[in-house]
Amino acid sequence: MDLPKQIDALFRENSELAKSITEQIHKLAPIVSKEIGREKIKIMNFCGSHEWVTTHYGLRALMPETVELIPGPGCPVCVTPSSDIENVIKLAMEGYTVYTFGDVFKLPTVKHYKKDEVGSLAAARALGADVRIVYSFVDAIEDAKKSGKPSVFFGIGFETTTPSYAVLFEKEKVPKNLLFYSSLKLTAPAAEFAVRLHKSKGLVPVSGVIGPGHVSSIIGAISWDFFPREYKIPAVVTGFEPIDVLAGVLKILQDLHSGDITYTNLEYKRVVKYQGNVYAQVEINKVFKLVDAIWRGIGSIPKSGLDLREEYSMYNAREQLGIKEKPWDYDLPPGCRCNEVTLGIAYPTDCPMFMKACTPARPWGPCMVSMEGACAVWARFGSTERITKIVSEVK
Amino acid sequence: MCWAVPAKVVAIDTDVIAEVDLGGGTIKRVAIGVDNVKPGDYVMVHAGVIIEKLSKEGVIENLKFIAEEIQRTEEIMGKSEEEAKKAADEFFKEAMKILES
Repeated sequence: MDLPKQIDALFRENSELAKSITEQIHKLAPIVSKEIGREKIKIMNFCGSHEWVTTHYGLRALMPETVELIPGPGCPVCVTPSSDIENVIKLAMEGYTVYTFGDVFKLPTVKHYKKDEVGSLAAARALGADVRIVYSFVDAIEDAKKSGKPSVFFGIGFETTTPSYAVLFEKEKVPKNLLFYSSLKLTAPAAEFAVRLHKSKGLVPVSGVIGPGHVSSIIGAISWDFFPREYKIPAVVTGFEPIDVLAGVLKILQDLHSGDITYTNLEYKRVVKYQGNVYAQVEINKVFKLVDAIWRGIGSIPKSGLDLREEYSMYNAREQLGIKEKPWDYDLPPGCRCNEVTLGIAYPTDCPMFMKACTPARPWGPCMVSMEGACAVWARFGSTERITKIVSEVK
Repeated sequence: MCWAVPAKVVAIDTDVIAEVDLGGGTIKRVAIGVDNVKPGDYVMVHAGVIIEKLSKEGVIENLKFIAEEIQRTEEIMGKSEEEAKKAADEFFKEAMKILES
């Protein structure tokens, strides 16, 4: 067996281990629930891939009643503001070739349902605009070099995506005809925002956090230390197989039991280092600067985004094309509750539009678009209630 | 958007581009986002960039983390240190069999 297959066998197909960790969670949860005086031990994740794993493998159905796994702000496509989509659509309609990732293609603007509105890049392409889906920034560069046309790359992503842009700009591989429209976001400021919101709204506070594995491969597990240090909330960075997430839940329970909440636990040691990928961090800092960023349906979060530094302004689509940042205006379509889903204060099934006016085939709101949006994940793999019902029937 | 897949480095094209095998012979040209990568290395690839290397040593550390967890819960549930360690060692031994297969 090669290494990836061994990893699958150990962390994905290991039902014996899943059973044993689940049993341990069931033993520990009631004890911890009593100790901390909370009926619900709320554990939040900050990565769409974690939500995917949790829902796809039915991990919520394995949890005791006291443990609640909730999705947080973990999908960059879901939080890309409507104004950014509108700006890029406008460029496409003006004749620029627009390169984008596949899960951004169908992302709807705030007014996508209006008859005279070009409501997504997909709609722009249907009207004849040159919108090209690419797998990576490398592919966009090679295609733009060949075409020689004035082009724009719609740069969406969290810290995981950023190194590809950084190394290619820094090594001068980007052709002059390819501009970059940054909609890059940072996870930690939004994660902190979400956790604080739960407290300020008087909701059940977040008792533990599962840190995003691949984001942390870049920024390091150390980046989440503010949760244990400042908030006394256990944090664990885990991988993306079911065993990883179960092990993360168990670790949070153990920390709550011991009260030793001082640093971020690192479960995903096969990929992540405590300090992160220092090479990538250096490259990112050379090319990008911190900026305030708008999160869809939420508003501006200070220092939660990245844009090209002045040295790279010749590539900055906003600067080169005179695109002015408008003040944020509420940017979800009527009835959509994506912002609440993103912040973990509503489940997808709490939204009256879920699987009615809003489906993966015809998304009404942004969380139904990307494979990692919580609504899209719940739509495909079912909600906890259904899984729990099936499990109880089997039992 | 932060999904990443394991891949094997097939060739280093330039200082910034490598060719990787994503499995099943699917070859992709990707950006190099790590230091000192060479053909034969296992890496994690996300949206066309190598974000980190993947190593057997890392997997072993990962398994040790889970073994420690198992031991700790057993101790919390009232088992002696020796019994708890035995449970953790058993798990680790079984896991290592898979890693050596």
